[in-house]
Amino acid sequence: MHDDATHGQGNSVLLPRPTAWPMALALGLSLIFAGMVTNVAVAALGLAMTLAACVGWFRQVLPHEAHVPVAVIAEEVEIASARTLIQRPQRSASAAPRKVLPVETFLIGNGIRGGIAGGLAMTVPAGIFSVLKYHSFWYAINLLAAGGFVDWASASNAFLCQFHLQGLLAALVIHGLTSLLVGLLYGAMLPMFPRYPIVTAGFMAPLLMTGIMFSALNILSPILNQRIDWPWFILSQIAFGLVCGYVVNLHAKVRTPQFQALSFAERAGLHSNLVELDGSQADPSQTGVQRGTQPGTKNGDKEDGAL
Amino acid sequence: MAVQTTTTAGTTQAAPRRLLLEVLHDWVTTVDHKKIGLMYIGYALFFLVVAGCQALLMRIQLAVPNNHFVSPQTFDSLFTMHGTTMVFFVGMPILFGFGNYLVPLMIGARDMAFPRLNAFSFWISAFGGMLLYFSYFGASGLYGAGSAPDVGWFAYAPLTAQIFSPGHSTDYWTLAILLSGIGNIGTALNIVATTICMRCPGMKLNRMPLLVWLYLVTSCLAFVTISPLTAAQIMLMLDRYVGSHFFDTQAGGSAVLWMHFFWIFGHPEVYILVLPAFAFANEIIPVFSRKAIFGYPAMVAASVGIGFISLSVWAHHMFTVGLGPGPNTFFTLATMVIAVPTGIKIFNWLATIWGGKIHFTVAMMFATGFLFQFLIAGLTGIMLSVAPFDWQLGNSYFVVAHFHYVLVGAILFMIFSAFYYWFPKMSGRMLSERLGKWHFWIFLIGFHLTFDFMHVPGLLGMPRRIYTYEADRGWMIWNMIVSSGAVFQAVATLLFVYNMVWSYFKGPIAGPDPWDAWTLEWSTASPPPAYNFAEVPTVESRRPLWDIKHPEDPDSRYE
Repeated sequence: MHDDATHGQGNSVLLPRPTAWPMALALGLSLIFAGMVTNVAVAALGLAMTLAACVGWFRQVLPHEAHVPVAVIAEEVEIASARTLIQRPQRSASAAPRKVLPVETFLIGNGIRGGIAGGLAMTVPAGIFSVLKYHSFWYAINLLAAGGFVDWASASNAFLCQFHLQGLLAALVIHGLTSLLVGLLYGAMLPMFPRYPIVTAGFMAPLLMTGIMFSALNILSPILNQRIDWPWFILSQIAFGLVCGYVVNLHAKVRTPQFQALSFAERAGLHSNLVELDGSQADPSQTGVQRGTQPGTKNGDKEDGAL
Repeated sequence: MAVQTTTTAGTTQAAPRRLLLEVLHDWVTTVDHKKIGLMYIGYALFFLVVAGCQALLMRIQLAVPNNHFVSPQTFDSLFTMHGTTMVFFVGMPILFGFGNYLVPLMIGARDMAFPRLNAFSFWISAFGGMLLYFSYFGASGLYGAGSAPDVGWFAYAPLTAQIFSPGHSTDYWTLAILLSGIGNIGTALNIVATTICMRCPGMKLNRMPLLVWLYLVTSCLAFVTISPLTAAQIMLMLDRYVGSHFFDTQAGGSAVLWMHFFWIFGHPEVYILVLPAFAFANEIIPVFSRKAIFGYPAMVAASVGIGFISLSVWAHHMFTVGLGPGPNTFFTLATMVIAVPTGIKIFNWLATIWGGKIHFTVAMMFATGFLFQFLIAGLTGIMLSVAPFDWQLGNSYFVVAHFHYVLVGAILFMIFSAFYYWFPKMSGRMLSERLGKWHFWIFLIGFHLTFDFMHVPGLLGMPRRIYTYEADRGWMIWNMIVSSGAVFQAVATLLFVYNMVWSYFKGPIAGPDPWDAWTLEWSTASPPPAYNFAEVPTVESRRPLWDIKHPEDPDSRYE
């Protein structure tokens, strides 16, 4: 491998020596290929060229890579911004000039735990529906497995009410993975909607998820879509949402690395300089997500030639 | 104004005029990543003009019903050569050209990890293109009247069998793609090794410019996908030369096997082409919105996610084969799922623009066009991912319109954007913004005339690759509009070429950092010296030049 840290004598840099052998090798190989559709003499020429190019190339790099010193001519390159900075009088002199989000979030593990708990809770209404309506616990499980075994979507009710090992395994995989992923989503998103956690986690998210599922399944597998009892499905989703949201919210939030960017006074909870969009002071008890930053200043350029 | 001066290197004296042979010798023997990148770009632009002319000929042929502007045989060759050239000898070289030029500069390296392999990769790809076009003279044998390949760019079996495709035209196609594949693997290897091993001090993976991340993902995709294509080409050569039966359906072979081999390359290939376009957007949109990219970690995760998911969607090109309910469902779902990371990207670009101080330079105008058009291309992609919808419209002009929306509306727009953004770095001179705006608006009008209206004949049942059609089909008006749009695009492209040539000689001097940008390539002279940086830079954040320009508020404080 070319060593880019190599320095030459004095004020020079060592760079790989220019060579035509790579081009010659490429031409040789191309001629070999071209010989297959033209004439064997073309391929023979290509072979000779390939061998010569290989030898030439090897001699470029063995025993030592050939380098050529290139003189470095110093020139000043000015790295400067022509733009002026926005003056922000509402800030105190000690305040950090911009804010980054979020400063607090849930651990990934909380989302996973919430997903597992929600997944278990969801089985209760699903099981009750299955037993009440079809007198078999296995109906709901096999209907879920139809997501993997596509032809099961059109199977008879009697078939779906029987125990099938592969159906159980498929349903476990589908349900387990989906629960974990949605749990992670809850962990990531709940800090963004902290005001009404029960409504968000327990009702809004399940209804949204049901809407997406209904629309998608109507396209993907209309037959399976017709067999699903949607009111019971919504009930299961709400069970998942309430339990998953509760478990995720049970755990304390952790501070992200962005927290370190805040001043000591803010980190200590003694002072908040976090500014809302209208310039008023934000509630310091709110999470970092709510502590909004001004458009155009978040993570970015506060430059403005007009100001 | 925050000002900091750094010292780098460059040539301050005017170089003496050199002989043409000396210049040629320099370019043939160069192993410098910048020159190789420029050669990639120049060679791709040449083929862009060639394949563009082929497209124009096809559009003239289809503009009116019962037309015989070209013969059916010529038409077959035209669409085969247009597709093959655009994918293998325009799209990949131009994107690898930009990667070659930019990746080492952006990570503070002096060259690629394997400079000689880099030169070899370029030359073998270039010779592949030449071999493909030599088919016009030698496809029926060196001494006969030749003809170019005519089996379509995906060359389905059994059309490629010796009995249906006599002579050497298909062999030229196979061999040219094999050569190009060797070059692409070499460049991909170089980009991965350079990215992993040659980053300057302080440039951790989580500080790497998103462009470099995207090129890393693209290169890894190239490893995985070009191998099956190469294997399939070798199998096809064996079928045609030594009588094996891999794809010979009459002797126990499978035509569907070829489809799987081809599309497991072919669909990720779309992402190999579009990810570098995303990479350009990731650099250009923040600079002209005067904000850091929104959600850097999410953008990286989405890019890697797209890389993985794109490997599991290939058979949506084969819904009409009759895959069965299981595969249909899987590939429909997988194709829909890829919209998630792609959607994350679009939202993050919008969030970057949101509240920013937007500068509508030509580069930003093309990037804005890309955002809207890529969204529409994605939506028609979702429509086609639904198997029953695809059964209706597969192989129609709706599909042609969809993928041209991706290839032209997204990728070509971002390539133009990249030219306007990095041309000053490459040449030391600015492109004319006035000509650029003419270029943008004329091309935009032409693009929408062509590819918006191309959906309609598809919905009306016009199959792709059709030579001509009867007047009573109701397709004429739509085809006339589509063809007239192609003329607008051709005029705009000529303007662009004129702008490049004029600006190269007469454009205003750019200086090292004309856009007030934040990545390392703007910290050295324009064009950069052979060694890139007199001293290897050290970085402390994702925007090293921001840190230098604003020492009172560096990014490093927040990352």
